[in-house]
Amino acid sequence: MKVVIIGGGWAGCAAAIQAKKSGADVLILERTDLLLGLGNVGGIMRNNGRFTAAEEMIALGAGDIFNITDRCARHKNIDFPGHKHAWLYDVTIIEPNVRRYIYDMGIDVFFEARAVDVSMDGKAIKGIYLHDGTLIEGDVFIETTGSTGPMGNCIKYGKGCSMCILRCPSYGPRVSISRRAGVEDLMGMREDGSYGAMSGSCKLNKDSLSKEIRDALNEKGVYVAQVPPEDVNLDKLKMKVCQQYALKEFAEQIVLLDTGHAKLMTSYYPLDKLRKIKGFENAKFEDPYSGGKANSIRYLSMAPRDNSMKVKGIDNLFCAGEKSGLFVGHTEAIVTGTLAGYNAVRTSIGLDPVELPVSLAVGDIIRYENSMKDTQEGIRKRYTFAGAGYFERMKELGLYTTDVAEIRERVERLRMEDFFRQRLI
Amino acid sequence: MLRYIDCIDAGTDFCPCTLAERKECIICPQLQDRNVCDCLNWKGTCMCQEFICNGLKSKKSREFKKFDIVETVKLREDLFQLDIKVTKGLARELNNIGSYVFLKREGDIEAYSTPSSIMNSDTVNNIISIVIRIVGPKTKALKEVEDKILVKGPYWNGIQGQRFLKELKNKSCLILARGVSAAPAVLAAKKVMENGNQVYVLLDRGRSTENFTKQKFKDLGCKVEDVSFFDRSGNISGENAAIIEHLLKKWGFKVVLSAGSDWFHRKMISFIRGLDKSINFSTVNNSIMCCGEGVCGSCEIINIRGERIRSCKQQYDPSEVFLKEMDN
Ligand SMILES: Cc1cc2nc3c(=O)[nH]c(=O)nc-3n(C[C@H](O)[C@H](O)[C@H](O)COP(=O)(O)OP(=O)(O)OC[C@H]3O[C@@H](n4cnc5c(N)ncnc54)[C@H](O)[C@@H]3O)c2cc1C
Ligand SMILES: Cc1cc2nc3c(=O)[nH]c(=O)nc-3n(C[C@H](O)[C@H](O)[C@H](O)COP(=O)(O)OP(=O)(O)OC[C@H]3O[C@@H](n4cnc5c(N)ncnc54)[C@H](O)[C@@H]3O)c2cc1C
Ligand code: FES
Repeated sequence: MKVVIIGGGWAGCAAAIQAKKSGADVLILERTDLLLGLGNVGGIMRNNGRFTAAEEMIALGAGDIFNITDRCARHKNIDFPGHKHAWLYDVTIIEPNVRRYIYDMGIDVFFEARAVDVSMDGKAIKGIYLHDGTLIEGDVFIETTGSTGPMGNCIKYGKGCSMCILRCPSYGPRVSISRRAGVEDLMGMREDGSYGAMSGSCKLNKDSLSKEIRDALNEKGVYVAQVPPEDVNLDKLKMKVCQQYALKEFAEQIVLLDTGHAKLMTSYYPLDKLRKIKGFENAKFEDPYSGGKANSIRYLSMAPRDNSMKVKGIDNLFCAGEKSGLFVGHTEAIVTGTLAGYNAVRTSIGLDPVELPVSLAVGDIIRYENSMKDTQEGIRKRYTFAGAGYFERMKELGLYTTDVAEIRERVERLRMEDFFRQRLI
Repeated sequence: MLRYIDCIDAGTDFCPCTLAERKECIICPQLQDRNVCDCLNWKGTCMCQEFICNGLKSKKSREFKKFDIVETVKLREDLFQLDIKVTKGLARELNNIGSYVFLKREGDIEAYSTPSSIMNSDTVNNIISIVIRIVGPKTKALKEVEDKILVKGPYWNGIQGQRFLKELKNKSCLILARGVSAAPAVLAAKKVMENGNQVYVLLDRGRSTENFTKQKFKDLGCKVEDVSFFDRSGNISGENAAIIEHLLKKWGFKVVLSAGSDWFHRKMISFIRGLDKSINFSTVNNSIMCCGEGVCGSCEIINIRGERIRSCKQQYDPSEVFLKEMDN
């Protein structure tokens, strides 16, 4: 039984690991030369409700990736405006660590293998065509191509290609596999009703910052500087993907986090303005390369799905991560990816797919996002355990806790401890 | 098979073209009337980005320019070769598989534009060679030119299924040629051989004792054989069928370039497909062309899926056009 995963970001890696644990042969197709996709430029884990979600997944027996991100953490339990107990993994070492883990499990990965089309048999996918015409056949498919770009979207809905980690000019554009299979994509909106959203953070080269800033980052993980009043731009917040960081504090202050590079919590920042700030005189962008001008555009390519992560209208296609909804974050991609990987294997051996219980945050967010996406209001929102509206909901429903024993108990009460460890085949 | 969609101009100096301004781009759905990024064939640049950065305007189109004729050689009563001195840039751009230009005599009206294949582009002396067969008003007008001629180019879609020829490395290729269509096959042979491939040419004698390209293929180092492909009833003669079958077995060709009329393509492709299904085909493009820019529609053909293809700009897989029914 062969599971083919299209896109090797966090969602694809999580789906691959879970499908393998459930007993399938697994192949990941990744268009670039790196796994993790946007995970190569993120780093923030366990902030706010993400802590609960991570511990729920560990208790459910799907802690593989969280163990790696924890092990690769540069800073643990740090606070920054609006956010508590964040862990920051080191983006300069995370990818090879995950890659080794994936290889050690016996998962196959084809790099520089861009999926461009599908071969169909009625409503089922028979195989995936790569850019060079090779047909990759499989029994069940999981689309985790994310929602970023490609260049036409970044110029049409943003400020042009900013040369982000996905490197479209080098590796070719993202492709919506579900659309190729005949299912129209859903498109996220901004507050003003225009489509898409701009990524909300960029990265500066740490060595280009002053010694004072470098020392603070290395020691505490956080550094906050004031934006000169004439440069405060509140409008930029509305464009942002990351509504959990779209706070006034992030417009009036420069918040830096140490993820190996200095993560700057704003979409983009004109270089000449940035260099006026003390300690930033020599600042240089690391990601996106054109972070002085723009950032990537996301959420223009979501597949309609059910709560088991199956794509509606196609018999054997599942989806996860940003492809599956207005989810923001590594944790969110890992949660949805794990469920997609598990259910892909279940359905391929004739079992019904399962949903995660809504008494856990990881089950609730999948169901909640899906119901909200249908509304005019909901399509303008993003869904993350870390903030925006969803973290409030977690608190209201009593889902949010940092008490690990309590989380384990909740999972045990559902008789779901180590649920994801069972082999299905 | 993977859907084969390609615009020969995509990603070149001429992209985005005027079709983008009218939301008729062949490749980019953003530049059609669908607001999504969904291009099937990425060629390294984003025409949507180029279009927007160019102020929502297309790049400049090709125009006729005047060049000197360095030599005119009469090959037969109805056949002559023109050697034209062009710029270094144009010679270089025309040194590609499938290159062609529009030719026109100075003073003639636009309707006399004649698509003409490049047989050779000498990029040292910047001389392009073209062989013309006189058939009607346009080609008769070209016969009248003396020392100057108008040339519009470069165009590249003179051979369909180019991908198969370009991707061929250290293998072998069979060329089946007849008549004036053999001219573009000479340049194709040169380019294919640059990739370490061997080229075998079966040249139809036609009405002459040998095709005018024979020596040119030989000079390139191709193996060349003179044949008369068809018997009186227009079928591939038993003797030639046996030769082709033998060559296919012996050489294991991956690609066959058919350089003749559309009737010739049909005969050859269906015969060879019957022997070996794995062979890919390239064909000399015989469509009627007026603008070469995907605008006028005179070159439109329909493939087996019923898709309309403007063959001056768009590439197709010849087996999807010249085989009535696909059996694969
Ligand atoms: C600058 C930035 C910083 C961020 N920081 C954080 C953070 O600190 N913490 C956090 O939790 N979240 C962060 N996020 C959000 C988070 O990274 C994403 O929501 C999450 O990683 C998305 O994962 P994904 O697997 O769904 O998609 P992606 O990471 O986009 O992965 C998709 C993968 O599919 C591949 N692909 C696409 N098309 C094809 C194709 N046709 N064939 C083969 N492969 C294909 C891509 O190359 C890519 O590797 C950040 C995002 C950005 C842009
Ligand atoms: C890409 C391409 C490359 C070509 N290369 C050569 C070449 O190297 N040498 C050569 O002798 N001929 C070549 N031709 C064919 C040549 O263009 C025609 O023979 C010429 O246009 C005939 O014009 P006419 O007025 O002399 O004859 P007409 O009496 O108008 O036509 C005679 C026949 O030529 C064809 N034809 C007419 N107009 C066109 C046109 N605009 N485009 C294509 N075919 C037409 C028709 O089949 C017609 O039945 C090429 C055609 C194309 C499309
Ligand atoms: S020749 Fe005008 S559209 Fe092709």
